[in-house]
Amino acid sequence: MRWRVWFDRLLVLLILLAAWQGGSLWLGNYWLSAPWSVATRFFAALFNGEMVFHAGYTISEALAGSVIGGVPAVLLPFLLRRQPIVVAILDPFMVGGYGAPKLAFAPLFILWFGIGIESKIALVAAVVFFIVYFSTLSGVRALEPKLVQMAQVIGASERQVGRHIVFPGAVPAIFAGFRIAVPYAIGGAVIAELISSNRGLGYLVQTGAMNFDTTQVFVAILAATIIVHAFIAVIDLGERFLLRWRPRGAVLIADHGT
Amino acid sequence: MAGTPMLEIKNLGKRFPARAGREPPPWIIQDMSFEVAAGELLTIVGPSGAGKSTLLNIIAQIETASAGEIVFDGEHIASPEQKALHPGLNRRIGYVTQDDNLLPWRTTIDNVLFPLEVQGTLDDAARARAQELIGAVGLAGFERYYPHELSGGMRKRAALIRTLVYDPPMILMDEPFAAVDAQTRTQLQEDLLRLWSLKRKTIIFVTHDITEAIALGDRALVLTQRPARIAAEHPIPIPRPRQVKDIFTMPGFAAIYAGIRADVQ
Ligand SMILES: Nc1ncnc2c1ncn2[C@@H]1O[C@H](COP(=O)(O)OP(=O)(O)OP(=O)(O)O)[C@@H](O)[C@H]1O
Ligand SMILES: [Mg+2]
Repeated sequence: MRWRVWFDRLLVLLILLAAWQGGSLWLGNYWLSAPWSVATRFFAALFNGEMVFHAGYTISEALAGSVIGGVPAVLLPFLLRRQPIVVAILDPFMVGGYGAPKLAFAPLFILWFGIGIESKIALVAAVVFFIVYFSTLSGVRALEPKLVQMAQVIGASERQVGRHIVFPGAVPAIFAGFRIAVPYAIGGAVIAELISSNRGLGYLVQTGAMNFDTTQVFVAILAATIIVHAFIAVIDLGERFLLRWRPRGAVLIADHGT
Repeated sequence: MAGTPMLEIKNLGKRFPARAGREPPPWIIQDMSFEVAAGELLTIVGPSGAGKSTLLNIIAQIETASAGEIVFDGEHIASPEQKALHPGLNRRIGYVTQDDNLLPWRTTIDNVLFPLEVQGTLDDAARARAQELIGAVGLAGFERYYPHELSGGMRKRAALIRTLVYDPPMILMDEPFAAVDAQTRTQLQEDLLRLWSLKRKTIIFVTHDITEAIALGDRALVLTQRPARIAAEHPIPIPRPRQVKDIFTMPGFAAIYAGIRADVQ
């Protein structure tokens, strides 16, 4: 079963690479770089430290932004659990924040926070915040009232209910939120770098395009994709550990979401 | 059985709030009155949907009453206001609900210890008591299992001892042995009677099994269907200690059984 999946994945990868190679031969390496050139350049950049230099920058932005945006996004629904009116008042603004094309704010953030790392972190934080907020909120709302009643009968305080019932119950939703947010976090960082930066994967894309070096553009995109995969793998690992109480079937179904 | 009752239900009524697009809500419980003496084991029999769980929810203070009064140990506790309720009455009323309501992220032992953890009374003696209860209901060896890895009957047993472990003076039980095979049930009933004879808790035990109601109870109440009222009250003068598995052979059993049977529609 597992074997079969890996084999088929490899097959799909080969087909994609073949199509890419075919397209490159047809259009010319100038327009569409070839897989082989990308791979060579990728490993060269990996070994000469260039990749670590740029990707490390992008990863730091994504991590810092995810923490700064994600932590309040997780805490807020818990703090507001007993304040449904406040949640209702905030709702249209939150939906607005969620729906607004935040990448379009990138130039503004650069104006406000400068061309350094701060503006990129701010953009990632804004993107991550709304995704994680709504996911956590849905987890807090899906709470089983009978479990809360059971705890209250036993004598649990409001705080204990939050800690022992609401929080563990919302953990799956929190993980789901972060997992959805990962590509947006990396994407946000890359876009912000594209606009103005002298470092990072976005900078590689930008200079590559300027020099008509499609290989470099693809190398940067490949790196970003690998980073997203790695982030999600780490999240999955944490989830598997924290949610080991769940029936195996449920974990498998959740896995299909990745 | 003399003296002031532990619990008094007076003209209790319950209807759930109306919902748009539905006819006015029916009375689920209407004009229900009964008393429970301290140390009594009262059984309540009634058909499915009669309102037995609703009654226990109201006594446990997780559901409001629409009419009438409840007096617990001299204290008036019924209220139509959700905010005025004190679930579990400050740990004096334990409630073994119809659903097990185990926390899915806690193992058997951690579920059983949950009340002690919340109440801040978790020490080695308490752990030992929990372990003893786990053994008594046949869950030894399953301490580290999560609820989804237990059978329905095992989950109910875990939920039962989760309430017993913190020793509330009054315990409400909603069909705690319904999902258990006949042999285990007899065993659990005997265990319950033994524990009760030692500690003399006040217990309200809901069931729709007439034999169980007779085997356990000092007295059995029969509820009517919709709205729930007390259809009849049957004293059960079978002497204790009782042998649950031989309860059929006790003098008087057949007559009480026939009486209750006739009152349950
Ligand atoms: N939250 C609720 N809102 C509206 N109606 C309810 C609610 N809870 C219970 N009822 C109604 O109250 C009635 C009694 O329900 P209850 O659960 O108390 O029955 P029961 O005697 O415990 O039945 P069973 O033996 O099947 O457990 C049912 O008709 C049910 O539809
Ligand atoms: Mg019921």
